[in-house]
Amino acid sequence: MIRSVRAELFKLRTSPGPWVVLGATLLFTALGIVVVFLVGKGHGHVRFVAPVSTFRLRRLIGSGFAVGGIWMAAVVGVLAVTGEYRHKTMTQTLLVEPRRGTLLAAKAVAALIWGIGLAIASLLFVGAMGLPLLHTEGGSVSRLFDQAGAVLPGLFAAFALLALLGAGLGTLVKNQVAAVVTILAITFIVEPVLDGLLPEVGRWLPSAAAAAVAGGLAPAGERAHLLSWWLAAIVLAAWGLVPIVVGYFVTFDQDVT
Amino acid sequence: MASSIRADAVALEVAGLHKRFGTVQAVTDLSFGVAPGRITGFLGPNGAGKTTTLRILLGLVKATAGTATIGGQRYEDLAQPLRRVGALLESTSFHPARRARDHLRMCAIGAGIERTRVAEVLDLVGLADVGGRRVGGFSLGMRQRLGLAAALLGDPPVLILDEPGNGLDPQGIAWLRDFLRYLATQGRTVLISSHLLAEMAQIADDVVIIAAGHARASGPLSSLTAQVGSAMRVRTPEPDRLLGVMAAARFPARRLTEDLVLVEGVTPNRLGPVLAQSQIVVYELINQSTDLESVFLSLTGPEIAAPAVPPAVPPAATGQPAAPPP
Repeated sequence: MIRSVRAELFKLRTSPGPWVVLGATLLFTALGIVVVFLVGKGHGHVRFVAPVSTFRLRRLIGSGFAVGGIWMAAVVGVLAVTGEYRHKTMTQTLLVEPRRGTLLAAKAVAALIWGIGLAIASLLFVGAMGLPLLHTEGGSVSRLFDQAGAVLPGLFAAFALLALLGAGLGTLVKNQVAAVVTILAITFIVEPVLDGLLPEVGRWLPSAAAAAVAGGLAPAGERAHLLSWWLAAIVLAAWGLVPIVVGYFVTFDQDVT
Repeated sequence: MASSIRADAVALEVAGLHKRFGTVQAVTDLSFGVAPGRITGFLGPNGAGKTTTLRILLGLVKATAGTATIGGQRYEDLAQPLRRVGALLESTSFHPARRARDHLRMCAIGAGIERTRVAEVLDLVGLADVGGRRVGGFSLGMRQRLGLAAALLGDPPVLILDEPGNGLDPQGIAWLRDFLRYLATQGRTVLISSHLLAEMAQIADDVVIIAAGHARASGPLSSLTAQVGSAMRVRTPEPDRLLGVMAAARFPARRLTEDLVLVEGVTPNRLGPVLAQSQIVVYELINQSTDLESVFLSLTGPEIAAPAVPPAVPPAATGQPAAPPP
């Protein structure tokens, strides 16, 4: 199992997709930082405002999260599974690890680890870009670090669980493009619409659950009714695990011809 | 042709194998064995079920019924599959952006094989210089070599190669032939599916011939060609006396033209002494002994036109089992 996880991590490392996703995550993070600093801008001209409030400091830490960058973790999960189908490498992979349950579990774990890696990269980026900005605008860097302790575990958990969700989605859908489009559709269409119409249902959806896990880092965190963090973690894990288990039986165990 | 059998060589066993894809019956009640340490050619026309059989053997496709085992175990039950079996399959593909060396490293990591082996197999298949290049820029021949390198990564005692010559140019075929010969001398159990019969005839110890999902024949190549092949054409001024002598010797014979008689199921070594003893004048003695190709065609050809007829001995056995229907 450990060998399979290492092989899957090596695969992610030696294909371009996950690096593109890393770039996208950093881009989202940069966007998030700008958004956080722009809050309170005046009419007609842009003025940076230091995020001095507790809420905005937390938003700064989770700035990749704040604009949807966290879904990049799900994309890595998708790539880990669907890349094999897209490039027809499943045959070679199954020759190395013919136990399909082990293989799928290894893929999920590898995606999860890469997801945590994305969270770390995003945080480093916040450090590199956000801290100097915060400093020049007169914000308190030490308060930012105080805030970090409170939200980091949730942030890592959210990235990891969304990567799991991506792996599950990839297992179910198999087609890489379709799976990524599905993710985009859920994030930018299904969730906002459903949240507007039926907030009671909306809070059980992945983005809201992720926001709840991460302690209200995302815009979704401004919704009235978030689940408690532990319930949200279970819900989010279920969003990942259920597709993986169903996908295992529906598609992953099929003949590879 | 294997000079000495590797100590860890094992037999492959396919027993009562059935596979149905939807409405297509790909393999029907297929049974054959592959002897340890020997090269077995797995022959059949396109669509005969060769690839399906090999994929079942490697755990990629599930059999509808029956078993396919490697040393008595299913592939997915092998403790370290890459160290036991090396496989090159037809549609094996590579991530185009991955470097050749990384493709092999990826397999080595997953199989727990030491990394030094990667450079060794790259060297073995002649890709040492391009190991750092991305596979997307590889020619078909280079991909095939890389596939072979992956198969050899675990130095396995068993090799399963599906149409290894497919899509190769003449140079590639020549290289492959030499490489397979080299592998053949190492005492591995090798199963090679192919329709390149001439190539198989040069390398295989045994053959298994299938058509339309059924086994048609299997056994040592030599006995198979002897069994189906040998026939002699005899040109003689006394054909009637020859037919009489042949009947007495229980050699099936029939007249082709005025002075030409065909004697079937005999080799020159058996027919010659009989002719000498009976002092029949012979103008011409032609060995019609067939090659693997004719065996193959005789076993698979008619079945395509009229399928589902097993290669049975005629029900009315007359004591001359080799006699074909007139």
